[in-house]
Amino acid sequence: MKALILTGGAGRNLVPFSPTRPKAMTVVAGGSLLRRQLTQLREAGVTDITVVLGQNGEKIRHAFTDGHDLEVNLTYVEQGQPRGIVDSILTARSRFNPGEYFLLVYGDIITSGNPFFQVLQSFNAFKGPIASVYLPGPPTGRYGNVYLSGTRITKIVEKPSGSDLGNYVLSGMFVLPAEIFSVMEKVGGEMEKVFDHLVGANGLNASIWEEGWIDVECPWDILAANRMVMDTWSEAQISSQANIEGNVTFRGPVRVAGDSTIKSGAVLVGPCYVGPGCYVGNNTLVRNYASLGARSIIGYGVELKNCVLFGNSDVGRLSFVGDSVLGENVDLGSGTMTINENMDRSSVRVDLRGESVDSGLDKLGAFIGDDVKIGASHTIAAGTIIAAGSVVPHRVTLGSGGGDA
Amino acid sequence: MCGIAGVASFQIIDDRLYDGVRHLEYRGYDSCGVAYLNHDHIEIRKDIGTVDEVNSKENIRNLDSFVGIAHTRWATHGRVTRENAHPHPSCHGEFVVVHNGIIGNYKEIRHELTNLGHHFTSVTDTEVIAHLIEEQYARVGDVELAWVSALRALRGSYALAMLSIHDRDRIYCARHESPLIIGVGSDSNYVGSDFNAFIDYTKDTVILDDGEYGMIARDSYSVKSLESGDVVEKSITTVPWDPELAGKGGYPHFMLKEIHEQPQAVRTALHISEDEIKTVSDMIAGARRVYLVGVGTTYYVALYGQYILAEIADLDVSAMSSDEFRHLDKSDRDSLVLAISQSGETYDTVMSLRHAKERGAKTAAIVNVVGSSIARLVDHVILQGSGPEVCVVSTKAALVQMILLARLAIELGVRCGKVSAVQQREYEAALTSLPEQIQNVLNEKSGLLRAAASRHKEVGNWIFLGRGIYYPIALEAALKMKEVTYVHAEGMSGGFLKHGTLSLVDENFYTLVLVPPQATGELHSMTMSSVEEVKARGGPVLGLTFGGDEELYDERVALLPVHPLIAPFLPLVGAQLLAYFTATALKRNVDKPRSLAKSVTVA
Repeated sequence: MKALILTGGAGRNLVPFSPTRPKAMTVVAGGSLLRRQLTQLREAGVTDITVVLGQNGEKIRHAFTDGHDLEVNLTYVEQGQPRGIVDSILTARSRFNPGEYFLLVYGDIITSGNPFFQVLQSFNAFKGPIASVYLPGPPTGRYGNVYLSGTRITKIVEKPSGSDLGNYVLSGMFVLPAEIFSVMEKVGGEMEKVFDHLVGANGLNASIWEEGWIDVECPWDILAANRMVMDTWSEAQISSQANIEGNVTFRGPVRVAGDSTIKSGAVLVGPCYVGPGCYVGNNTLVRNYASLGARSIIGYGVELKNCVLFGNSDVGRLSFVGDSVLGENVDLGSGTMTINENMDRSSVRVDLRGESVDSGLDKLGAFIGDDVKIGASHTIAAGTIIAAGSVVPHRVTLGSGGGDA
Repeated sequence: MCGIAGVASFQIIDDRLYDGVRHLEYRGYDSCGVAYLNHDHIEIRKDIGTVDEVNSKENIRNLDSFVGIAHTRWATHGRVTRENAHPHPSCHGEFVVVHNGIIGNYKEIRHELTNLGHHFTSVTDTEVIAHLIEEQYARVGDVELAWVSALRALRGSYALAMLSIHDRDRIYCARHESPLIIGVGSDSNYVGSDFNAFIDYTKDTVILDDGEYGMIARDSYSVKSLESGDVVEKSITTVPWDPELAGKGGYPHFMLKEIHEQPQAVRTALHISEDEIKTVSDMIAGARRVYLVGVGTTYYVALYGQYILAEIADLDVSAMSSDEFRHLDKSDRDSLVLAISQSGETYDTVMSLRHAKERGAKTAAIVNVVGSSIARLVDHVILQGSGPEVCVVSTKAALVQMILLARLAIELGVRCGKVSAVQQREYEAALTSLPEQIQNVLNEKSGLLRAAASRHKEVGNWIFLGRGIYYPIALEAALKMKEVTYVHAEGMSGGFLKHGTLSLVDENFYTLVLVPPQATGELHSMTMSSVEEVKARGGPVLGLTFGGDEELYDERVALLPVHPLIAPFLPLVGAQLLAYFTATALKRNVDKPRSLAKSVTVA
């Protein structure tokens, strides 16, 4: 079976990362969402994969090229201006033959465990359209409520009202016939209408996904996704190619990739991840759920906890980064402190596109976009978003300063 | 208890034996193995572990042979070791046997055979059968004669399948008090503990009875009487179930699948003909003494029956656990024993029925599996038609059994004049609405129950409280929790709690209350007073409620108000989901909990 992955979504809530990268290129636990999906698809025997590209799509092309590194065969289709999911699917129409079923995957979801075996198993049982569904923990109004009879989907309520309602939601993985393209043209713009059409024709069966699932929509979802993946790690994996000095402590499921350097006095508490080419300085403390993307540099005495560094970033000496996400090519000057809680322990609010949104989290630090440079000695308030490309000079309390910021 | 599969075919076996034992794993799964004809000898591959584990070590999946047998084991005699795994060969590997059951006189036989120079490699009762056949063959020189004389020497229960190097095209099989059936295919014939052994290949089966043996070749089969040696004419039963259903479909576990199948299973049960219900009602009405027997879940079903028959039909019947029944059985010619069993093979229940029959009692049963021992043992059986239940933990089968007991109660209530025509219509309308009400719980409460399960997965002790007819429901709900999550949960009636167990309640001891609708009046208020008693000791209380008294619960899941007849089934479904989600949160082996097997066919 062929697969179609949609990565063209604007991801407007995923600030400050969405202006510079597709959501699918969000990095958790050392790999992008898309890399994880491609790997899982290949494991499930799906290798002919089309990726719909939107804004910043060249980052995906650049990272995966024709897919040979992951042993898949990738084809790219440009969506141009984002005009919704249906439009995005239709751009790939010519890739599929009439009578053929294909796997449709939203590029902004992440699961613990490989969901595609289950989806394909369901398809083999029903030989008809399949929608993977998931039961979120506490019910939210964020997703439509899928009504089932057996596994047949009988209706999808888009905006479930009241917290007493809670059931399965569409989880962004489908098996659909190529005939769906003409349905899409007929019913027009919205995916909901396409599903309603399938449901009305008694033709949509649910495949129930029981393990973890996260739709990466808000910046703090990155931290949850990172945790979800790392929670499946049960043992340490230290590359024999890593350069590890004496007096380094590993505790729990620590993963260290090759070609990285860990200096004396460092303490790494798993689950945590140190990517290829990283430098972890003397007397650093890398605590659980810290993920250091490739070529990150952590200076002397830095403490990291529950944070994701996409890669190629530099955290200056004597800094603390907790409950935070750093994009690619971020420079934090020495003595940077992220504050990760409110004094009154109330949940941290974040300004998303001018609207103050309650994250629901007691501990939350900062979200720092790609290519940000922050000078030395800054203290960053809980829930701060720093736009990609920002440059912040050193915070100097004495002298006029001859250095540049 | 164990599972047997076998195939004789024009085509190579390939993965058919592997499929067969995999579908039989619910019968036991501590070790498995296959034996097949490999040119001039019989090759055996076996080890400890699940079918997939053994397959990864031994490759039992791609067998290049035309005749073979297979077995999945649940140990009774001898520990779980490779040596004790089936199939078992005779000294020279000329006869190879798989067996389900218990041979009572195996020690004597083993002793005799040892004196005759036989050498045993396992400590199982099964191995003696292979050696016994070899010994007999040395004397008579004919496989069938040797097979028959060996069988005649055995005491106890068995379902057997055997391969012999001296009769290479055939599988010999036999049954005595353990289930065995033959599957009749177009270019192959099969043998199995039940139809799951060959469900992907044929639906046509021939059911062996006790004291019969069979011989299967790729193009023929025959069944003979062990006593007379005469051929027995058997009719072919076509299994009505769709093999598609035996797969998990879109579900991650059979347990969730079977929970979600309940609306359909109830619909089917409501379509079971009025005549069936009337026939068993006649038997109940005509008996001076009525026993409802089951064990485990089906005992709680029986207990539900006792309550509903008292409530609606003014009848005094006794629910008894079938493992204890023989100690209390005072049945006589004027008595009826109504047995309840999903598999129809439950050892204790079979024995209860035999015991009662010996005393002259009439017997009836509610059973799910067509052609099962109990179905054929009793004077009248209601086949509940709920479809295969694969998860070891019973959900849909138990619920449907309760529905059928409720139907019996309504019929008997009408007869005795306690239920008016108006009430009868009301009850029937309520039952008709039940599938939709269950579907509602599944569609709108699953998320809440999953959230509750993940919040409370670390709770070590639960009491499940219910009063009146909610008491057997509470017992059944607690059993679901125990068996699938390995967490301690105790079902209890509200009044009983005060007399001892209340001393356990503290802030770490959780209580789940199955609260009747407020419309039930006293039953509701008495339940709430139990809640107050628990609250007063600081115990956290979760309510499965139909609304009202919100402030008393620490947490609650509110169900839509429904008719009191069907109300108890909604918290039951809620509790099934709670057990399921707790088990998945704890990463338990949901469909095959440790130490349990689907149908317990041993004492």
